[in-house]
Amino acid sequence: MWRYEKRLQYPVNITQTNPQIAQVIISQFGGPDGELAASMRYLSQRYTMPYREVMGVLTDIGREASEMFRLTASFFGCFEGRVTPFYWK
Amino acid sequence: MMQYRQDGMHSQKQLADWIDQVSFMLDDTLLYLDTHPCDKEALQFFEHFHELRKEALEEYAKRFTPLTLDSMASCQEKWEWVYGKWPWEGGAC
Repeated sequence: MWRYEKRLQYPVNITQTNPQIAQVIISQFGGPDGELAASMRYLSQRYTMPYREVMGVLTDIGREASEMFRLTASFFGCFEGRVTPFYWK
Repeated sequence: MMQYRQDGMHSQKQLADWIDQVSFMLDDTLLYLDTHPCDKEALQFFEHFHELRKEALEEYAKRFTPLTLDSMASCQEKWEWVYGKWPWEGGAC
C-alpha cells in the first residue's frame, strides 16, 4: 500500500536552463532504462526471493525508484512555483 | 546537520529542511537494517529519529500544512490535504 508525502526526498533547485542535461535526465524518466521500469522490476522480483532480507531490500529500493521518478519529473515542472518545461526553454 | 528543537520556533523552511534530513537518514538506515536486521545500534538509531520525525511532521502539520495523511490535525474545518501547497507550487520542491 503506497503512501504519499508532500515533499521530495532531495531538494530540487534549478537555476539555469541546460538542454544537454535535460536530455540526459529525461532518458531516466521513461522507457526500459527509466526509473519507473526499474521500480517495476524491483517490486515484481520480491515475490520469489528466497531470503527475507532481499524481499525487504527490493521493496525499499523499489519504493525509492518511484521517488526518483518523481524527482526527475520535478526537474521539468518545478521553477519558482510555475509549471513550465523549464529545462527546455 | 541541523538540531531539532521542540519549541515551535523553527521557520517553515527550517522545519521542512529538518524533516527532509531526518527522513533521508531513516531511508538510509532502513536499507541497512534490511540486510542487518539484528543490529541493535541501528535499531535504536532508527527508533530515536523515527520518533523525532513523527513529532516534526505533526508540528509542521499544526503550524503550516500537513505533509502526510497520517500527520493531519484531527479537527479540521476543511480538507487541508488539498488546500496546502503541493511540492510543485513552491511547497517542498
